Amino acid sequence: MELLNIFTKAAFIENLALSYFLGMCSYLAVSKTVKTAFGLGLAVIFVLGITMPINWVINTYLLSEGGIFATDLTFLRFILFIAVIASMVQLVEMVVEKFSPSLYNSLGIFLPLITVNCAILGGSLFMVSKEYNFSESVAFGLGGGFGWFLAIIAIAAIREKIKYSAVPPALRGLGMAFLLTGLMGLAFMSLMGIDPAAF
Amino acid sequence: MADVKVAEKSGITFGKKERKLLTDPLSDNNPITVQVLGICSALAVTTGMKNAAVMAVAVVFVAVLSNFFTSLLRNSIPKQVRMIVQLVIIATLVTIVELTLKAVDFESYKQLSVFIGLIITNCIIMGRLEAFALANKPYESILDGIGNGVGYGIILLIVAFFREFFGKGEIFGFKIIGPTNEFLLDTTTSTWMGWYASNNLMVLFPSAMFVIGILIWVHRAWKPHLVDIS
Amino acid sequence: MHSTRSVITFVLIMTLLVALALAGMYSGLKPIHKKNEALYSKKATLSAISAHLPTQPSAMAEDEVISLFNNKIEQKVLNMKGQEVDASVVESAGYPGGKAENIDMAKEVKKPLDEQLLPLYVYNKDNGEKLYILYVRGKGLWDEIWGCVALEGDLNTIAGVAFDHKAETPGLGAEIKDNKSWYSQFTGKKIYDGDTFKSVYVRKGGAKDDVYEVDGISGATITADGVTEMLERGLEYYEPYLKSVKS
Repeated sequence: MELLNIFTKAAFIENLALSYFLGMCSYLAVSKTVKTAFGLGLAVIFVLGITMPINWVINTYLLSEGGIFATDLTFLRFILFIAVIASMVQLVEMVVEKFSPSLYNSLGIFLPLITVNCAILGGSLFMVSKEYNFSESVAFGLGGGFGWFLAIIAIAAIREKIKYSAVPPALRGLGMAFLLTGLMGLAFMSLMGIDPAAF
Repeated sequence: MADVKVAEKSGITFGKKERKLLTDPLSDNNPITVQVLGICSALAVTTGMKNAAVMAVAVVFVAVLSNFFTSLLRNSIPKQVRMIVQLVIIATLVTIVELTLKAVDFESYKQLSVFIGLIITNCIIMGRLEAFALANKPYESILDGIGNGVGYGIILLIVAFFREFFGKGEIFGFKIIGPTNEFLLDTTTSTWMGWYASNNLMVLFPSAMFVIGILIWVHRAWKPHLVDIS
Repeated sequence: MHSTRSVITFVLIMTLLVALALAGMYSGLKPIHKKNEALYSKKATLSAISAHLPTQPSAMAEDEVISLFNNKIEQKVLNMKGQEVDASVVESAGYPGGKAENIDMAKEVKKPLDEQLLPLYVYNKDNGEKLYILYVRGKGLWDEIWGCVALEGDLNTIAGVAFDHKAETPGLGAEIKDNKSWYSQFTGKKIYDGDTFKSVYVRKGGAKDDVYEVDGISGATITADGVTEMLERGLEYYEPYLKSVKS
C-alpha cells in the first residue's frame, strides 16, 4: 500500500514535469505531435524505472559511509549518477535495436535525448534527498516516469489542436507552449495536499 | 542556428567574429528564449534574484570551463564514448561548484539544493559542447561559453526580478514595496510605497512559465525574424 | 576510429584524474563544510529568541554565535521521561560530542518513541531570567518541517519561534519560515491553561482565541495543520521535564 502511495504521489501530486518543471527541454521540443510525445514518454518511464534502483544501490552501497568502502564518497554522486544514466540509455538503445527493430525505429531517436533530460537525474537526486528505500525508489521512479508521460501527452494534444486557433504570431509555438504549461501546472497544483493514503 | 565553424586563425585576436560569439547569445540566439535550452533550472531558482544570480554565476563557470576542456580534448576524445566523456567533464565541474558553494555561501547552498546538481543536465551546456566546442578552438569556445552563460543568466535575472518584485515586494531580499509602511526605514519620504499586497502567485512555479512565455512573446514581437512558423 | 584499447585507457585515465582531483578538493573543504553546517543550525536555534538578542542571528559573525553559545547558553539533553541524561548516553546514541547541538533530530524521530532524546537549550538573560528553547519536528505538505520554540521563564508563555522545512511550496507552505508577520504571532501565546497542557492551534480563517490560537496561512492549510500537530505532539514530549522544573 505504501508503495502505491508513493507511485500515485509521484505521478500526480509531485509530478516531475508539472510541479517541479523538470525535463522541460525535451518536453517543449518533442511535444509538437502526440505520436512522438508518446514515444518519448514511454522511453522516460523505462529509463527512470531502471536508473532509479541502480542509482539507489550505488548511493547506498558504494557512496555512503555505511557502504563497502566505509568512507563518505558522496562527492562522486553526480558523476556516477550521470554515468549510470548515460550508460543505461546506451544499453537500452542497443538492446532495443537488437531485439525489436520496429520499437527501435519509433523510439530510437529519443533515447539519446533522455540522457540530458533533467527529470531523470532530478528523480535520482530527489530519491536521495527523500531517503527512500529500494522498493520505494522503484515505485518513485515508475510513478515519476508515468507522471511525466501523462504531462507530455497532454501538452502535445493541446498543441496539436491549438494550431487551428488564431494565436498572435509572436506568441505562436514556443511562447504559447510556455503559457499552456504554466496553466497546466496551476491545474496540477489543485491536486496538492491530497493524501493518497486516505483512499 | 548560428553555429558556424569559426575560421581557423592563429593567435588570439578579438575581431568582429569573436564579438559576435559573445553578443549573439544575448539576444538573437539566446539560449532560453530562442534555443529553448536549460529551462528546468531557470524555473526553479528564479523565486529570488539572489538565487538566480548564484545560479547564473555557476552556469557561466561550468559553461566556460566545460567548453574549454572539451575543445582542448576535441581531437583525442574517442567518438564512441563522446557523450560520457562530456558528461564526466560537466559533472566534475558541477561538483566543484557544489563543494565551493557549500563552503562559501551555505545559505544559498541550502536553498538551491538539488538544482545545483541539475546544472549537469542543463541542456545549454551539453548543447554548446556538441554544437560548438567539439568543432572549434579553445579560445573561441571560451567566448562562446561566456556568451551563452551570460545570455542565460540575463534571462534568469529578468524572470527572478519580476517574480521577486511582484511576489514578495523585494529585490535581492530588500523590501521595496509592501502592504504597510512599517517595513520602510524612512516613512516620511516614501510613504507611497506602502500600498502593495504581495501576489503569492508570482512565487509559485507556474508563474515562471508565464513570465518566460511573455518574455518570448515580447522578444519575438520586437524581432519578428525569430517567429517560428510551425 | 580509435581502438577499443585506447578508448578504455582514455576513459580510465580521465576517471582517475577526475576522482583524485575531487577527492582532494572534498577533503580540503570538509572542515569548512562541517563548520558551516554547525553554524547554520546554531543560528537557527538562536532565531527563536532573536527578540531577546542585540543583533539578528542571520547578521551575526561566527565568533559572536560561538561566544553566545559558550557563555550564555546551557545545553541539556533529556530522555522521554523528562530526566537529564549524561554526555555518555548521547554519545552511545551515536552523536560524538555528547551535547545537545550534536543531536541530529532527523535521525532521532525515526527511533522508537521511548528511546528518543530531546535537546534543550537554556539561555541566561543578563537580568537573570531564563529562556528555554525546545525542539519540535513534524510533517508538512511535502516533507518534514521542524522548528525551535522558546519559552519564557514561566515555562508557559512563548518567547519566540523559528520554523524551517525541507520542501514546502515557496509562497505558500514555505511562509512558515519566511513570513515574519505570521510566525511572530506566536510570541506571547501560552501553552498551558493552569496545569493543563493546551499547545497553540493554527486556525484556518483567523484565530478565535487570543491566548491559544494564531491565524492560518491562506493556501497552505496542510502545512499549517502540520505545524499545529507538530507543536501539540512535540511540546508534550517536554511536559514531564517542564513539570519537574516548575515544582
